[in-house]
Amino acid sequence: MLRSLALIPHLVGIYVRTRMEYRGAMLLAWLSQAFSYAAMYAAIAIIIFRFETLGGWAWPEMALLLAFHLLAYSLGAALSFVQFRDIEEKVRLGTFDAILVKPVGPWLFIAFSGLNIGYGGHIILALGLMIWSLTQVSADWTMLTALYFLAALISAAMLTAALMTMIGATALVWVRSRHLFSIFFGFWELARYPLNIFPLPLQVLMITFAPLGFLAFIPTAVALGKPVPLLGDWAGPASLAIGPLFVLIAMAHWRHCLRNYQGAGG
Amino acid sequence: MLPIISADGVGKTFRQLKRQSGFSGAVRSLFSRDYSEIRAVDGVSFAIGAGEAVGYLGPNGAGKSTMIKMMTGILTPSAGALSVLGREPHTHRMTNAAEIGVVFGQRSQLWWDLPVRDSYDLNRHIYDIPEARFADNLAYLTAMLDMASFLDRPVRQLSLGQRMRAEIAMALLHDPKILFLDEPTIGLDVVAKDAVRKFLAEINRERGTTIILTTHDLVDIEEICPRLIMVDEGKLLFDGELKRLRASLGSRRRLTLEFATDPGPLVLTTATLSADEGAAKHFVLEDETVSLIDVLNEVGRGHGLKDVKLDEPDIEEVIRTFYQNKPSLAGAAP
Ligand SMILES: Nc1ncnc2c1ncn2[C@@H]1O[C@H](COP(=O)(O)OP(=O)(O)OP(=O)(O)O)[C@@H](O)[C@H]1O
Ligand SMILES: [Mg+2]
Repeated sequence: MLRSLALIPHLVGIYVRTRMEYRGAMLLAWLSQAFSYAAMYAAIAIIIFRFETLGGWAWPEMALLLAFHLLAYSLGAALSFVQFRDIEEKVRLGTFDAILVKPVGPWLFIAFSGLNIGYGGHIILALGLMIWSLTQVSADWTMLTALYFLAALISAAMLTAALMTMIGATALVWVRSRHLFSIFFGFWELARYPLNIFPLPLQVLMITFAPLGFLAFIPTAVALGKPVPLLGDWAGPASLAIGPLFVLIAMAHWRHCLRNYQGAGG
Repeated sequence: MLPIISADGVGKTFRQLKRQSGFSGAVRSLFSRDYSEIRAVDGVSFAIGAGEAVGYLGPNGAGKSTMIKMMTGILTPSAGALSVLGREPHTHRMTNAAEIGVVFGQRSQLWWDLPVRDSYDLNRHIYDIPEARFADNLAYLTAMLDMASFLDRPVRQLSLGQRMRAEIAMALLHDPKILFLDEPTIGLDVVAKDAVRKFLAEINRERGTTIILTTHDLVDIEEICPRLIMVDEGKLLFDGELKRLRASLGSRRRLTLEFATDPGPLVLTTATLSADEGAAKHFVLEDETVSLIDVLNEVGRGHGLKDVKLDEPDIEEVIRTFYQNKPSLAGAAP
């Protein structure tokens, strides 16, 4: 276990060096991604300015929601998205076999040897927007609220990485996982708006089977003292528990899929 | 001597959903529980001792890669008992991994964009190789495989032959007890194949590393592996020395004699006529001890012999003969 942790800097190092081979391209990608998010947020801001609020959320509150959404997602996805999306390809090309013959946990190897510094642009934009919106929202935060906010952010990042892991792991058994990722991103798009603007069945779905309501809306609403549909007072504790809970589920699922790994022919 | 690898009735069955053609078929197969079973490995048993070099041979789809994947812990056997270095490889995959080296001829384990040296350096951490031993091994392998000129070049710039040497070296940096190679010479030219073969034979001899390799190229086996395991359709067909396989089949060299004019029927004791085209006659030499001189002496002068052609059977042919005689010989294997 300790030896595995000591390996992490070396795994990250090798990936960073790989990306540095193409550092110009990476900087450009950072810039263009940050721009495209900023443009999308500007469009949302314009709509809210017209109607004053969206589901009871004014622009600075919405900005905090968007920033939380992007930051929690980026932190989790840096550790998981591209790496686990590509498991499908690793299985097909047989490179997953090569990971299994190393004396190292395959999850650790995959997550950290691909720790995606490409999310740097997202993270900088999200942090900037978050700091600005925190100065704008009229909330009197205690130390406890701040702690909750931070813990909920980590929980949401864990949720992201856990869901990515679970989806990617299905490729070990089914060989294909791409369609599941597109379902994830469908809900991920919705997760940046207040949950209460959606019809009830969708709200239920987004706190149960597709729990992306916890990615941003629920923690932000709790921190701002806004009502959370369906969950009410349970929203706070639930949003803290959801990350660790899904990590446990994802670990069990990952192990199950590894045991049933069939590889590809050849 | 206790074997370091033992397989006892090992089998692997892949289940594959039966696909039906057309759109309605696709929809139906979504809900279908109808599987077809592929027996990739079927009741294979063998024991391999420390220091051996074994060639694992068989036609496409014979189950060679599947067997390698089970011995390296990638796949779980669906039948039988498998033990590598005293452990079940799939349940002790990571412990097993620390003591074996694996080379896949068809897929790279090197970091594509980085110098070869960087991949080695990461492996030093993954396998926890002491610094001094790593330096020694790297120096030895670099010299043996003539890698000094490309150690600092990005892998993407290497030729296939250079890359393969780099892959093999990477699998040996941590002093594995067993080296598994799945088609290590595939796609290499004659010179590169030769370098790889010489090297593998050398580390087997000098360092006592046990080698298991799969191949389609029988020269690999001739030059590296005294012992041959032959499989087909998942089943073991032959396990023993290559020499024994040759001897038990006869070498079946082919001889063509061309005459200026048709000498008429020609019966020889040293060779058996297989085809008669008049001026050209084809023979098969069944007996390994008969030499070309013996045959020519028997033919004698005076027939107006114009040309002689002797085809040594390549090992491909030995194997082909083996398959033709399969039922009678399978029983002869130990
Ligand atoms: N993941 C899999 N799912 C289903 N069938 C498989 C799988 N892997 C291998 N097979 C089947 O098992 C059989 C043996 O395959 P394997 O790859 O072990 O053959 P091989 O001897 O290595 O052949 P080759 O010389 O072509 O590499 C083949 O019929 C193959 O189609
Ligand atoms: Mg194969």
